[in-house]
Amino acid sequence: MKRIGVFVCHCGINIAETVDVKRVAEEAMQMEGVTYAQDYIYMCSEPGQALVREKIKEENLDAIIIAACSPTLHESTFRAAAEEAGLNPWQCEIANIREQCSWVHTDREKATRKAINIVGTIVQKTRLNESLEPIPVSITKKALVIGGGIAGIQAALDIADSGYKVILVEKESSIGGHMAQLSETFPTLDCSQCILTPKMVAAGKHPNIELLTYSEIEEVSGYVGNFNVRIRRKAPFVDWSKCNGCGLCMEKCPAKVSSVFDRELTTHGAIYVPFPQAVPNKPVIVKDSCIYFKTGKCRLCEKVCEIGAINFEQEDQFIEEEVGAIITATGFETLPVADLAEYGAGDVPDVIDGLAFERLLSASGPTVGEVRRPSDGMVPKEIVFVQCAGSRDPERYKPYCSKICCMYTTKHALLYKHRVHDGQSYIFYIDIRTGGKGYEEFYHNAEEEEGIIYLRGKVAKIFRDGDKTVVWGTDTLTGRNIEIAADLVVLATAVIPKDSTAELVKKLRIHTGPNGFLSEAHPKLRPVESINSGFFIAGAAQGPRDIPETVAQASAAACKVISLFSRDHLEQDPAIAWVDEDLCGGCRICISVCPYDAREYDEEKGIVIVNEALCEGCGSCVAACACGATQQRNLSDSQIKSMVTASLRGE
Amino acid sequence: MAKIAYYPGCALNERSSHLDRSARDATVKLGFELDELDTWTCCGAVPPVSEERVMNLIAPSRILKDVRDSGRDILITICDFCYNTLKRTNYSIKSDEITRKRVNAFLADDTPERDYLEKDDSLWEDYEGEVKVIHLMEYLRDELGYDKIAGSLEKPLKGLKIAPYYGCVMLRPQNEIQLDDPENPSIIEDFITALDARPVKYPYRTECCGSYLSVSNPDASTRLCYRILTSARNSGADAVVVSCPLCFYNLDSRQKAITEAYSDFKPVPIFYFTQLLSLALGVDCGRQGFEKHYVDVTPVLDKIGVSTGKGDE
Repeated sequence: MKRIGVFVCHCGINIAETVDVKRVAEEAMQMEGVTYAQDYIYMCSEPGQALVREKIKEENLDAIIIAACSPTLHESTFRAAAEEAGLNPWQCEIANIREQCSWVHTDREKATRKAINIVGTIVQKTRLNESLEPIPVSITKKALVIGGGIAGIQAALDIADSGYKVILVEKESSIGGHMAQLSETFPTLDCSQCILTPKMVAAGKHPNIELLTYSEIEEVSGYVGNFNVRIRRKAPFVDWSKCNGCGLCMEKCPAKVSSVFDRELTTHGAIYVPFPQAVPNKPVIVKDSCIYFKTGKCRLCEKVCEIGAINFEQEDQFIEEEVGAIITATGFETLPVADLAEYGAGDVPDVIDGLAFERLLSASGPTVGEVRRPSDGMVPKEIVFVQCAGSRDPERYKPYCSKICCMYTTKHALLYKHRVHDGQSYIFYIDIRTGGKGYEEFYHNAEEEEGIIYLRGKVAKIFRDGDKTVVWGTDTLTGRNIEIAADLVVLATAVIPKDSTAELVKKLRIHTGPNGFLSEAHPKLRPVESINSGFFIAGAAQGPRDIPETVAQASAAACKVISLFSRDHLEQDPAIAWVDEDLCGGCRICISVCPYDAREYDEEKGIVIVNEALCEGCGSCVAACACGATQQRNLSDSQIKSMVTASLRGE
Repeated sequence: MAKIAYYPGCALNERSSHLDRSARDATVKLGFELDELDTWTCCGAVPPVSEERVMNLIAPSRILKDVRDSGRDILITICDFCYNTLKRTNYSIKSDEITRKRVNAFLADDTPERDYLEKDDSLWEDYEGEVKVIHLMEYLRDELGYDKIAGSLEKPLKGLKIAPYYGCVMLRPQNEIQLDDPENPSIIEDFITALDARPVKYPYRTECCGSYLSVSNPDASTRLCYRILTSARNSGADAVVVSCPLCFYNLDSRQKAITEAYSDFKPVPIFYFTQLLSLALGVDCGRQGFEKHYVDVTPVLDKIGVSTGKGDE
């Protein structure tokens, strides 16, 4: 008979307040197989772990049960402690009496009885647990980073600098992302281009980085350490290996396409690079706008290109790659002004969004940094900034705070004041949120020294009246309605996930939350990992965030990848499905229920085997197996039956 | 001719009978008949749905149940207050089980047959929101189609510039009414276009006319109406079109007070949408009840070459 030790944690008052932990330990002592039971205030602390290690040896224990929090939190902690004391880690089990008991109940007597019951159930499982060994899995030490904004660039550079190969995939023709559109960055006002473009160049030249721009992920299969990725390289209709970036083709192209990079404030030809500092600095032809593709005539770019780089016959190419880890850093978009009906639904020319205003402020923008409004090019003397345009509005738009708007709007008003000295700006806000190093000081300076008028209240309506743009709002501090006939209105529109993120997550089999942003494995303790192993996340694709936070998170994600690659092989949890070859009839029902493609039909043996590297131990096939051939290690039918019996005996 | 159940409500029965009559005339021209319910009561005119009291929903629920019991599933209203009250009552009954049960308990208790029901409740069928409440303009847009109207015009309103006025309850709250975007609607604009007139853009089309403040604080309503009408006028409108009797009252009759209070004010004729519709469909001008208007509509009628024929009523 196994000698089992039970360790009951108080978790401070988290468990002890609702559950009589001493009684749980006493009752556990009476259970068959339990030879030792003890409670302690913080079992996960060093003295708590020391107690566990000490008693394993002193009491000569064969297995231990920690009655504490959820196994997702500290199972690995206690398994490591057990191993240190000479036990097989799979002889350590967790009885969750916090999330599944003390936190959700208030009646102390009933909660205590339930906790005893939970422990009794786990004792039954533990009695029949086998000692297992982890399954070694090989690892491809090459990373895939999806998204070439500042998050993707930073992550790729960090991984590449540590000596591992990286494939950086970007949908647009150049890397740089939204940061390349910005003028100056808060709170230090350093020029965005000046700090970003060197990193873009470094990413473009790094010997360990393979840059695949104008490319998209087609398909992803495999598992941590061994992913197979299929990438579509969209045809740019320009032979990039020949093109020297002279730009003559772009000058001559007669087509007019609204510039996405310039927030539709300017146009460019059908053959274009999004901005002069692009990496790689190679043009692409937009097929839908190209006159030749539409009418069969033109080919002007081809005529002017002296080196013959234009190639209208080019087709999309597909690349297969093997990688060990994937970082998703697909960034954000902002709520279209057209969606905001009360703010003119995009029909008022002098109502623009924050990114468009960045272009107006930018030295490389359409006005070369002079603030001129879109309708007639006039220098605006009065600007109204509207924060929370679509954010913090659960009834009509997005419920969440977009986080970056308080700071960038203050920056906008400040830069405007620096450019137009007699200009007046007004900022409508709900709250000013300036959590960040130097942020509050930045805001105070703007408010007190720069004469920016902050109005606490929401804007009800914006409409055009002659050449003015009229803003109706309210100042909740004075209780008055405000009407401003402004020259320009800038909306701090809500930060939203990119359209394409939803489709990408399906291919990757990672998850998004209710607002479409990528979900992390744990909001505090595993913020850069997806719940599916091998997938990491960085940047605003996970939620609204500013540049410092994005860069920090990108480096953190890179660090997780590097730590993964630093091992010779990965260890797969052995508590997964296995097949009794004598019982399996080869019906293949398990293949249809497996969400991880881990079940494969073996033609030779006529049975269905388990791919141990892919199996996550979810148990779907075990439940589906009609003849009992598939079993889960340490969750055998007899274990489950005795656990059910024990749990029913309790009530 | 198809008959569709029709709830006129109090205003159309009395002060706004010209809205009722022009609607009936116009729909007949369009090939269907507004079939007034045999018996109907006051719907409550919005207060029933402005607070959470089941008792207040009984009157509108009874109207809806009677429509269902008569074997019909569509009910047309024209007054915005009736539309709002009936549609939202129906929404509450449909979406909230507790409201549904309580309303039906009251209704059952209220029926003349309740003594029989106590013995045999199989005679009773709960009202579960089966009736679809439709605004006449919604019916014209979604069921009949504005293009059908455009194709039936006998007297197109060519050359008229008309300012649409939405008021408050026709579109709000959006999740319950779902007629159009309350911040940027287009249903009246498209209606005006179908009559071959031109809709005028102005910012006050969805702003408040003062509603019942007309009684308790008439000066406030005067100020609001002045802003609405002046904005419409300055944007080039020949007239303002409404569907709500209270909007009509405020925007039309109040122009007397506005003229006294604001020296720069120039009167703006107000029309019910049904009047414009029936005029455009060729109904005689004398049937429009223009003598009930405070502001003279003749300048508008002259523009489209219609003789007023005042006093024909």
